[in-house]
Amino acid sequence: MLEIKNLKASINNKLILKGLTLSIKPGELHAIMGPNGSGKSTLANVLSGKKGYEVSGELNFKGENLKKVPVEERAKKGIFLAFQYPLEIPGVNTNNFLKTSLNSLRKSKGEKELDSLEFLRLVKEKSSELGIDEKMLSRQLNVGFSGGEKKKNEILQMKILEPKFTILDETDSGLDIDALKIIAKGVNSSRSKNKSFLVITHYQRLLDYIKPDFVHVLSDGKIIKTGCGDLAEELEKTGYKKLN
Amino acid sequence: MQHLEINSNQIDKIKEISKEEKKFRIKNLELFKASGFPNKRIEDWKFSDFKNIIDSNFEKLDTKKASSDINKIELLEDFEHNNIILVNGNLYSSNFDYEEKNKIKISVCDTNIDYKINKNPLVCLNNALAENGYSLEIAKNYKLKKVLIIYNFFTEDTKNKILNNKNKIKVSENSELHVIEFTINKSRSKFINNVYENIVLEKNSKFKNIFIQNEKSNGFFHKFLKSKLSTNSDFTNLIFSSGLRFNKLDIECDLIEENSTCNILSALFLKKNEHQEIKTLINHLAPNCKSNQKVKNVLSSESKGVYQGKIYVKDIAQKTDAYQLSKALLLDDNAEFNSKPELEIYADDVKCSHGSSSGNIDQDSLYYLMTRGLSQTDASKLLIKGFLNDVVEFIKSPSIRKFIETKLEKQINGH
Repeated sequence: MLEIKNLKASINNKLILKGLTLSIKPGELHAIMGPNGSGKSTLANVLSGKKGYEVSGELNFKGENLKKVPVEERAKKGIFLAFQYPLEIPGVNTNNFLKTSLNSLRKSKGEKELDSLEFLRLVKEKSSELGIDEKMLSRQLNVGFSGGEKKKNEILQMKILEPKFTILDETDSGLDIDALKIIAKGVNSSRSKNKSFLVITHYQRLLDYIKPDFVHVLSDGKIIKTGCGDLAEELEKTGYKKLN
Repeated sequence: MQHLEINSNQIDKIKEISKEEKKFRIKNLELFKASGFPNKRIEDWKFSDFKNIIDSNFEKLDTKKASSDINKIELLEDFEHNNIILVNGNLYSSNFDYEEKNKIKISVCDTNIDYKINKNPLVCLNNALAENGYSLEIAKNYKLKKVLIIYNFFTEDTKNKILNNKNKIKVSENSELHVIEFTINKSRSKFINNVYENIVLEKNSKFKNIFIQNEKSNGFFHKFLKSKLSTNSDFTNLIFSSGLRFNKLDIECDLIEENSTCNILSALFLKKNEHQEIKTLINHLAPNCKSNQKVKNVLSSESKGVYQGKIYVKDIAQKTDAYQLSKALLLDDNAEFNSKPELEIYADDVKCSHGSSSGNIDQDSLYYLMTRGLSQTDASKLLIKGFLNDVVEFIKSPSIRKFIETKLEKQINGH
């Protein structure tokens, strides 16, 4: 699904990713852990196509070079980024936005666009599946949402848009245990043999609920260690310092 | 521009005026002739050099009458409403079939002179020459069942004319009136419409006024709106008048008695060479009054937006609550927004605040929306709509809100 080879990315002439190599196959869930400033969020941004980065190396998604593909086209190809800090968009109704978004993705896939009724039915179904109050969606996008609500909203968006490849950028930080379970439930119920995930996190806590196939340690712009689920537990005990 | 010729015998042609009125008109004409069109050296016009704008757009101008007749009028079918039809500012017809007839008085505005000399040259010009606006009066204890649309038609034959009109609206005690002032411009040529409007709100009355136009227009509009608010009255202006070549709305609001409220909110989307100014003066003259101003402009290409807002609080006007905010979203390097907030406060127990900001579309917000598959254009449009939305939200009636939203959307999508 995703093939990254020797990926380098810099912003304002500062090199952040220094030759990262990672391969994610369909159905796999990879976790990336790493200390602050190691380049985790940069990786998420570069994968989603955010402007402003100087990128070199190989970046292929389903066999296609992504480097020149703009943000919205990547979304249409099935890449979804759950933001670490979802933005507040005043005046934009969450439901309207989501409907516009879903329909533009459906349109690009040649599927029929949903009308309001069909869309609301879908929203109802997905939000009750996650135990999210759908009233949240009649509010302005993320405006006045608590930290937890914002993250839950990201997961709900993921459920509705059904991406092939989801990046969760520290979706677990700042969450209480109940919200964490909702997030985990959202991810676990979406896992299937043709969907992949990249979970970026600081803590092993999330990985108690979402079982990764692989855990990578990112440090100073490179993956310095790769292991199975138990690597996360080991890190929790020893910290990142021992690895260096 | 060649010299604008106005003959004082034009005043003689206005029939049946008193000696006093005639004197007042001639005095105003002299004042206008002495100053000419206002230019940027006059503080109130410093961001809208009207003389320059007129000089570069008109080769000649005259004050002859335009027609006051029209063949065909298409009324809106979006929602049920009463109507007043103005043709080039002249009262043409009215229809209040939804209402109790004896509660509403509508007539050609004849004696609506506020014998005060105004320092705005365009008001002087209006005072000298205006005739045939409308006068609308709502009787006591009557709330109109339906909204009133004032269709403001301009015909083909307005080329190079200055049309001066005076209007008056009075809402009596415990009454309520909602108006949509809807400008429809059939004229492709350039003209000036210069209006003086007088609004009186008696005790416990409510008046809500929405300004919007049907299409882009080559008209140059100036309106001076003078309002007086009595105890517990509520005056709301919602301005959506995008698409006009030039528009200056000069609103003066006197809160003369306690607990009265004045709201002025505007959501404008300007493009090309459009130039719009909102100038306000809110006079807090009694205690416990509220004023709320929010001006939002989205400016593209070479458009220019101006907001000059002044709040005056008299020494006895304690517990005044006055709020003022202007925000501009600039989509183009050549677009311009000027804002001049002013506070003049003589009372010591008041809450007054003002703020002004202008900036570009937030790139991070754009990125967030685009990661969800929206194109840059669609994401921008969504952010623009969101930016203007809180003014639209002020409209309570769903059908009217839908109507305004559709018009606004047309403006934004045409971008």
